[in-house]
Amino acid sequence: MKTKEKFEIGRRSFLKISAGAALISGVGLPKKVHAAKEGQLATLIDLSLCDGCPDRKVPACVAACKEINRDKIPPVADPIPEPWPRKTIEDWSKKREVFNRLTPYNFIYVHKAEVNIAGQKKTVFVPRRCMHCDNPACATICPFSANHKNKNGAVVIDQDLCFGGAKCRDVCPWQIPQRQSGVGIYLKVLPGLMGNGVMYKCDLCNERLKQNRLPACVEACPREAMLIGPRKAVEQAAEARARRMNGYLYGKTQNGGTSTIYVSPVPFEAINKAIGPKPGQPHMKVNVKRRMADTDPLAKTVLAAPVLGLAAAGVAGFLNRRNNRKSDSGKEE
Amino acid sequence: MTEKILPEKNLVVRHSKLELVEHWAIALSGLALLLTGIFELPVAKRYYIINIPGLGWSADFITSLYLHYAAALVFTAAALFHVAYHGLRGETGMLPQKGDFAASVTVIKSLFGFGEEPPMHKYLPEQRLAYAGMALTILMLMVSGLVKTYKNLYAPDMSHTVLLWATWIHNIGFILFFLAFLAHMAAIALKPNWPMVRGIFTGKVRLDYARHRHGLWLAEIESKEKTTDAESGPTPPEQPTGAEGDQVPTEQPAPRGGEGEETPPEP
Repeated sequence: MKTKEKFEIGRRSFLKISAGAALISGVGLPKKVHAAKEGQLATLIDLSLCDGCPDRKVPACVAACKEINRDKIPPVADPIPEPWPRKTIEDWSKKREVFNRLTPYNFIYVHKAEVNIAGQKKTVFVPRRCMHCDNPACATICPFSANHKNKNGAVVIDQDLCFGGAKCRDVCPWQIPQRQSGVGIYLKVLPGLMGNGVMYKCDLCNERLKQNRLPACVEACPREAMLIGPRKAVEQAAEARARRMNGYLYGKTQNGGTSTIYVSPVPFEAINKAIGPKPGQPHMKVNVKRRMADTDPLAKTVLAAPVLGLAAAGVAGFLNRRNNRKSDSGKEE
Repeated sequence: MTEKILPEKNLVVRHSKLELVEHWAIALSGLALLLTGIFELPVAKRYYIINIPGLGWSADFITSLYLHYAAALVFTAAALFHVAYHGLRGETGMLPQKGDFAASVTVIKSLFGFGEEPPMHKYLPEQRLAYAGMALTILMLMVSGLVKTYKNLYAPDMSHTVLLWATWIHNIGFILFFLAFLAHMAAIALKPNWPMVRGIFTGKVRLDYARHRHGLWLAEIESKEKTTDAESGPTPPEQPTGAEGDQVPTEQPAPRGGEGEETPPEP
């Protein structure tokens, strides 16, 4: 029964919906402006199934991701121009094989977390990558719109437009994007004064999605611990699994909602404690607020500002005419 | 009528209070937008701006965005107010006129001691051209900014093509606005323009300056005043009477002397 559900959500349903998603995400022309949500995908990561691939040196999902993105980053400038005045250079080009954290050459890793539940130790394996948030600050406030959320939910950095300022990493609650200095458009502009490389992260294999193919990590997982499908179906499946295992969800509400939903038999507070975040190994705090939400009311007022200005002009014009009429009639008297 | 000659004070009313509010609302919110717009770029940490006392917040993009929105609210509303209010009143003195480009060259040359300035209206020809340039820049910034704001709120997945257009129009507009601000400051720094600076703070400029530099404008005001006086009664313009019947001092002889010499204000 369990296998059947996985199969339906993970394979068939995905293929059915992905044709629509591909259409909406640019392969075909969208029919309606507001049809986007219908094509939104989500992934489910079931921590009760992930075992970290104990028989492999590198977990299957990580290896598959590394393989398809092997040539993504172009050759790095040698020497890498020194940024001024702060001389931070982030160069992973000589550490491409690293797979136990996020790097520009490694978009997914599996965190082995030794969780302590009421005095009992339990090991959980947590695949970590970009959560593909519903309203991702990393994309919406990118100064060059190099980072963009697609209709299918994938948040994708265009490496040809990115200057590597790392603003996306600063505003990401999990600091997911990773910088590689010495590559990208900044080299052709003012490499010493602006920009510092290109930011890299998981793009949900968006190009493969457009071709009706599964993301490499989902396809490679031998235990089908990762699934992808229509957002609603994935949410329902995640909730059903959580109920069955008396477990917990992560990603549905964090940062205002994401397209990645974890299901776990152990609480995420405990997982977060075990992870003890380090650079490239993000936390799993349960309370993750979307900080930009604080600016939403003011943003709505900004959208109303033209109307406010015109209305004020109308009122001022009316008062002005009335005063003029009064003073004219005063003169006549 | 806002514009009015006050001969007893050697002043001309150049701007109404409302116009001053418009100017300063746009200027101050525009400066705030420039600053917070710069802080939306990842520069504060890199250039150690965060180490400057009082600017510790400058690397927090969400705080900068909040301030950017607050300034955009004032800026957009004030700009739209300006266009609609003065448009409805048919006040078009700041719009470029035929021949402004050639006249601007003559004026600018005269500022550096080459040739004589032609007689001018309330606004200089280069001011009218600058106004048009600034209006276009502000339009670019406002429209693209509103698209970006809409995207932040409702459509993070909007068409990437539309978004790239909005982003680059906004970024180019930012550069043009910054250059326009510098040009505005440079114009103020030129000595012949100094008497106008007072106008944008108090609404009034010196009469002798206006007579010397804005002859066409003064002639226009005088002609309007004569028409108004002729319509409203026989009171001669030499002995004006206040609107409420208050006694107004009779006109004093026009001051003489070089620029900078000013009739002291009435006690």
